[in-house]
Amino acid sequence: MSTLIIGLSLGMLLFLLASGLTLIFGMLGVINFAHGALYMLGAYLAFDIGQRTGSFVLAVLLATVLTAVVGLAMERFALRPIYKRPHFYQLILTFGFILVLTEAIKLIWGLGYKEAPIPELLAGTVDVGGSTIPVYRLFVIAVGLVVGAGLFLLLERSTFGMLVRAASSDDEMVRMLGLPATTIRTAVFALGSGLAGLAGAIAAPLFPIELGMATTIIIDCFIVVILGGLGNIRGAVAASILIGLVRALGYTLAPSWVDVLTFGLLIATLLTRPQGLFSRPVRAA
Amino acid sequence: MTEQHFNRLASAICAVVVITLPFFTSNDFILNLATLVMVWAIFAVGFDLVFGSLGMVSFGHASFLGLGGYALAIVTQRYGLPFSAGLAAAVVLGGLGAWLMSFFALRMSGIFFALVTLALSQLLYILADSKLRGLTGGADGIPGVGRPGFANIDFFGSVNFYVFVAVIFGLVMLGSALLRRSSFGRVITAIQQNEIRCEQLGYDVHRVRQGVFIVSGAIGGLAGGLLGSLLMYVNPQMLHWTTSGDVIIMTLLGGAGTLWGPVVGVLIFEVLKEWMSSKTQYWYGIFGAIFILATIYFPRGVLGEIQHRLCFRPPREREAAMPAAEETRA
Repeated sequence: MSTLIIGLSLGMLLFLLASGLTLIFGMLGVINFAHGALYMLGAYLAFDIGQRTGSFVLAVLLATVLTAVVGLAMERFALRPIYKRPHFYQLILTFGFILVLTEAIKLIWGLGYKEAPIPELLAGTVDVGGSTIPVYRLFVIAVGLVVGAGLFLLLERSTFGMLVRAASSDDEMVRMLGLPATTIRTAVFALGSGLAGLAGAIAAPLFPIELGMATTIIIDCFIVVILGGLGNIRGAVAASILIGLVRALGYTLAPSWVDVLTFGLLIATLLTRPQGLFSRPVRAA
Repeated sequence: MTEQHFNRLASAICAVVVITLPFFTSNDFILNLATLVMVWAIFAVGFDLVFGSLGMVSFGHASFLGLGGYALAIVTQRYGLPFSAGLAAAVVLGGLGAWLMSFFALRMSGIFFALVTLALSQLLYILADSKLRGLTGGADGIPGVGRPGFANIDFFGSVNFYVFVAVIFGLVMLGSALLRRSSFGRVITAIQQNEIRCEQLGYDVHRVRQGVFIVSGAIGGLAGGLLGSLLMYVNPQMLHWTTSGDVIIMTLLGGAGTLWGPVVGVLIFEVLKEWMSSKTQYWYGIFGAIFILATIYFPRGVLGEIQHRLCFRPPREREAAMPAAEETRA
C-alpha cells in the first residue's frame, strides 16, 4: 500500500513536469531541456521563501509564479527571436539555459544540500489498510489531481484553452484570424514553466535540494513524454503514473535495478510503439 | 573564393600552427592544452558528421567518447594488451555502440532522435557509474590509463604525445575532407536538404544515416581513447549528457557543417574555459550565456560566418544558405 502511495506521489510530480513539457512542445514543437532546471529553481525558491516567511503556502505560490516569470523571460527574449529557424536551434538554446540557471542557483544558494521542512499541518502519518502513510505524500497526489483537473478544464473548456489548441495545430491560421498567437506562445511557455516550478516547490520537502536534482528527474520526465507520446497530455498522465509506480516498486524490490528497469521500458516501447504507448498513430499533418 | 579554396587556406593555416607550435614553446601547459584541443576536435569533427552533415541533433555522443575511453583503459590495464590494441578497441567499441544506438534512435526523427539518444546515453552513464562498477571502477573511474609505447619513444613527454595526437588529428581531418568531396559525402548533404527526393532517387536513406552514425561513433571512440590516454584517467563524466552538450556547443560556436568549424569551436571553448575558470568558478554559466547569445545572433558560428562572408556561392544557393525548418512535426 505504501509503495503504491509513494509511486503515485512520484507519478504526480512527474505528471506536473511532463504536462508542462508537453504543453510547450505542442505549442513550440520544441522540448525545453531547461525544464528540469526550472523545476530545481522552483525547489530552491520554495526552500528560500519558506525559510524567510515560514509560510508553506506562500512559498509554493511565490515559487510557482517566480519560475513562471523566468520562463516568460526565456521565451520572450531568447526563443522568440529564433522561431523561424530550424527547431534544433531552439532545442540547443534551451540547453544553454540549463548552464545559466544551474550556475545562477549555485551562485545564490551555494553547493550544499538544502532541506525544506514538511509543513506542520501535513507532517503526520495516517493508517490506510494497515500501513502508515505520510500525509505529505497524499497531499502531493491531491495537488497533482487538482492541477490535472484544472489543466483539463483550462485547455478543454475555456476560451484560452481553445486558442492554445488552435495555435498548436495551426499557428499561421490563428495569426491570420487576427488573434495574438505570439502572446499565446509566451503564455503557454510561462504556464509550462510555472508547472515545473510548482512541481519543484512541492517536491522540495520530499527530496534533498541539490544541484543534481534537475538531471535526475528530467531524464525520467523525458521517458514519460516519449512513453506517453509527445504533445499528448492524457498519455503523459498515464505514463507518469506508470513510471512512478515502476520506480516505487523497483525501490522496494530491487533498488539497484530501478534505472535499468525504467530504461528497459523505454527501449521496449521504442521498439514496439515508437509513437508512444498511449498515442494513436500519428496522422499525416 | 570558393568553399574549396577557403578549406585549403584554413587547412594550410592549421597545419602551419600545429607543426610549428612545438618549436616555439616547450611549455607543458600549452602543449597539453593544444593536445586536448586536438583530441576534442577529433570528437567534434566526428560529431559534426551527424549534426552538421546529416542535420540530426544527437544528444548521445558522450557515449562514444566514454566507450572509447573505457575500452582503452580496460584493454590496456586489465588485459595488459599494447596501446595499439587498446586504441583499436576504442574505435571498434565506439562504432559498435553507435551501431547499437542507431537501431533505436534512427527510428525517430527530429526532436525524438535527440531525446532517444539522450536517454540511451544516460542509461550507459548510469550503468558505468553504478551497475558495472566492477568493470569501470564506478564514480572513481580508472586511473593510470596508459600512453602509446613504440620505438622507445617516451610518450609521457608532452611534446612526443602532442606529435602523436597531431598525426592522428591530421589523418582524421584528411579523411573528413576527402569524405566531403566524395560522392558519398554529397549524398549525405543531399539527404539533409531533401530526404524524400533522395529516397525517390533510389538512395537507401536509412542505410546512409546508419553508416554515417557508425563512422561518427567510431571517431568518437578514437577521441575517447586519446582523451583517456592524455588525461591518464577515465571516469563516468565522459559519458554524462553534459559532455554531449559540450560538443554541441563547440560545434555550433565554430560553425556546424563546415570542415574546420568544429575545430575552431573546440579551440574557442577550451581557451575560454581555461581563461574563465581561472577567474571565476561560475564560468560554465557565463559560457552558457555566451552560447545563448551566439545561438541567437551568430547561428553560423565563427568560422561559418567568415566562410559565409568570404565565399562566393551561386545565387541559388544563397537562398538556401539557412537550412529550412524541419517540416516533420509529430
